Amino acid sequence: MSNKHPSDIPPRGETDPSRGKTALRAILAVGGGLALVVLGSLLVNFGLAPSWLTGATRDQSEAEAAAQQSGGDTQHAKLFTPPAESTIPDDDFGKSVRRGLAIFNDTGTNAHDFVGNDLSCSNCHLDAGRQAFSAPMWAAYPVYPKYRGKNKMVNTMEDRIKGCFTYSMNAQGSPSGGPPPYGSDVYRDLQAYFFWMSKGLPTGEKPEGAGFGKIDKPAKEPSRQRGEAVFAQNCAVCHGADGQGQKDINGKVVFPPLWGPNSFNWGAGMHKINAAAAFIKHNMPLSEPNKLTVQEAWDVAAFVDSHPRPNDPRQIGDVTVKDAVDKWHHNHQGFYGKEVDGKLMGPGYPSSDQASAPAQNESSGG
Amino acid sequence: MTDKKPDPRRPDETFEPFEATRRIPWPVYSIAIALAIWGVIMLVQTSTAVQVADKAQTEAAKQEPTKLAQAAAPDLDAGKTLFADNCATCHGDAGEGVTGAFPPLHGSDIVKLGGAKAVTQIVMRGIGGKLNVNGESYEGEMPAFGSVLSDTEISEVASYVATGLNDDAKTISAPEVADIRKVAGDMDPLDGGAGLAGLINNLPAQPESAAAEKGPGSERVAQLVSQGSGTVWACASCHGDKGEGTETVPRLAGLPAPYLAKQLHDFQKGTRPNDSMAYVAKGLSDQEIVELANYYATMTSPSGAKPSLEGDLKRGAQLAKEGDWSIGVPACFTCHGPSGVGVAPNFPGIAAQQPAYVAHQLAMWAGGARHNSPLGLMAGIGKALNDADRRAVADYLASLAPMPAMDKTELAAMESNIPVREGVDQ
Repeated sequence: MSNKHPSDIPPRGETDPSRGKTALRAILAVGGGLALVVLGSLLVNFGLAPSWLTGATRDQSEAEAAAQQSGGDTQHAKLFTPPAESTIPDDDFGKSVRRGLAIFNDTGTNAHDFVGNDLSCSNCHLDAGRQAFSAPMWAAYPVYPKYRGKNKMVNTMEDRIKGCFTYSMNAQGSPSGGPPPYGSDVYRDLQAYFFWMSKGLPTGEKPEGAGFGKIDKPAKEPSRQRGEAVFAQNCAVCHGADGQGQKDINGKVVFPPLWGPNSFNWGAGMHKINAAAAFIKHNMPLSEPNKLTVQEAWDVAAFVDSHPRPNDPRQIGDVTVKDAVDKWHHNHQGFYGKEVDGKLMGPGYPSSDQASAPAQNESSGG
Repeated sequence: MTDKKPDPRRPDETFEPFEATRRIPWPVYSIAIALAIWGVIMLVQTSTAVQVADKAQTEAAKQEPTKLAQAAAPDLDAGKTLFADNCATCHGDAGEGVTGAFPPLHGSDIVKLGGAKAVTQIVMRGIGGKLNVNGESYEGEMPAFGSVLSDTEISEVASYVATGLNDDAKTISAPEVADIRKVAGDMDPLDGGAGLAGLINNLPAQPESAAAEKGPGSERVAQLVSQGSGTVWACASCHGDKGEGTETVPRLAGLPAPYLAKQLHDFQKGTRPNDSMAYVAKGLSDQEIVELANYYATMTSPSGAKPSLEGDLKRGAQLAKEGDWSIGVPACFTCHGPSGVGVAPNFPGIAAQQPAYVAHQLAMWAGGARHNSPLGLMAGIGKALNDADRRAVADYLASLAPMPAMDKTELAAMESNIPVREGVDQ
């Protein structure tokens, strides 16, 4: 309205009834505008706005998928989740953690001098020692030092790892002829890895998911014969019909041998049928845990553990198998010291002729 | 009404009364103000984004000339990353190798004597035969990276191996790599230590050439592959002249013979459904199946696969190397071998496989349409992966170098084991 007449302007001093109203309207309008902006941004920020408006479909569906994934396994909901590998810090401590992880995943390469077989720690401690009910290292670390009946003394974590090298990795057949000496960087780095993985767990408490988990007693006495059939059906594809594992085109061990000269020895925990059965039930075949019945797990564990394997390294000098049974194996559920198909289980592959361990002596045994 | 003198307080003639009386309601002003504020915010945001982009661009432009200037000196940091992505699954993060399987690159006599040039040849062509490194013997079946890495990338990774992992002073530039590619780019993999001896002077004793015959088998098979027979069309018409496959047609070159034979038998029996392949397989005799499987198993061909499904390569690498145990999926490489080269007879190589084929098969396992993997192992894994994961891992595998071919001698040892086993399949 360009042609405002001077008389439109109310005379000075006179109160115009509409003036107050205009101011009120202006305040309302500005306030309302600001309120709308605030409201709008809040809606968008809290994801209340419809997705077609904000274009946030992708993010949302991903978030939902993630929520579904984490919530899918309700049975394992309370299990500890170790930190992701990508969060290992980029400092000197992190370097040690990474070295420990490398040793764990490829023990024969990264702790070459102390490994006397074709196994790696991660063969039994799946997912680099992270998988629950596969003796995860985050569950082991917080309960050491502890008293162990195996050697009747208080063991530190270093003692315990030394035991793993001695028995499960058959260090007696390694280039150095034994496990890493106390104080070795191998222990330091492995412990750094375990410690890092256990962050946030209380010490002195055994977390849910520790060890290989519980397995019920079998209805029938474990049978090697039934176990052989279970093995052929469920295990041979990966571990080979002869249980000797499989290598790739370059000779790299991809599937670990389960018995024979290149597997764990008679002192390893896995030679006990109950331990093997629990591991098998909860972890094998890979990616199909609990596929086998309780009975099948016990049967196939009996089959696997009734084959020759390297000597118990404690069995040195004049110690006979019978002595060893009385001293170390009398309360084990295993075949040590027993006869299988007319052959005594125990004097398997002594360290002196480890390298020339005759394959024909071993045969399939079943 | 005839008053001529208009009242000054009256509006003029163009005045329309509702303008003055009907004022615009304040909520309309509110909306207008809100829109105005929103507009200003958007403007500010966009201009900041543009500024940031401009800045990045100018910085990139600044770096471009320095990069060009450094053409002679390849980027060793990039080489280190490439090493971690392409070499570390076999040779280890620090090039320490794997005892008895993969030779060390750190402190390797071959790298020391041959320098970046020899490393370039090995990376580009791969190795197919026994060799000695630092006095230890290795099988030496290394894939060729010539089709997977560019000249610049090969110069970076070869220079890193020569100077970063070892203390050689000489790097190799991208143009030098290009020169080597002109001569050796299409050549077969180096014939183990014997092949290396031809490249590097004064190499310590190497095993003799195994003279392993590779490539086409009997003429009959070659004809079957390229021309087909009366009832069967040529394999090459779909799978390519070099068995490299395309899109949903798989790469066959380098897959284990027993695996290929089993698939053909499964197509015949209908335990692996596929109309085209069922027709083809039914036209083949058992003998022809064995010969064809051997033909492709001993064949090496460059990778024709490229990531094409917009998969998240980082997630794909995680699934391949570490797995995702929170959804019950072990690493692909746990069974299919390091870098996905496969473990004969039952676990085919998956490196350099066509991504659309891999993603499709994973979906088929998930849905139950394909169900011929041992123990049904792949069914569970296919189901555990969501669509994005399937695309991610398929794309990652397509970025890998093709698996090395199996040599004839090894094949002969395995031939008796080619499974036509019933009952194992589920």
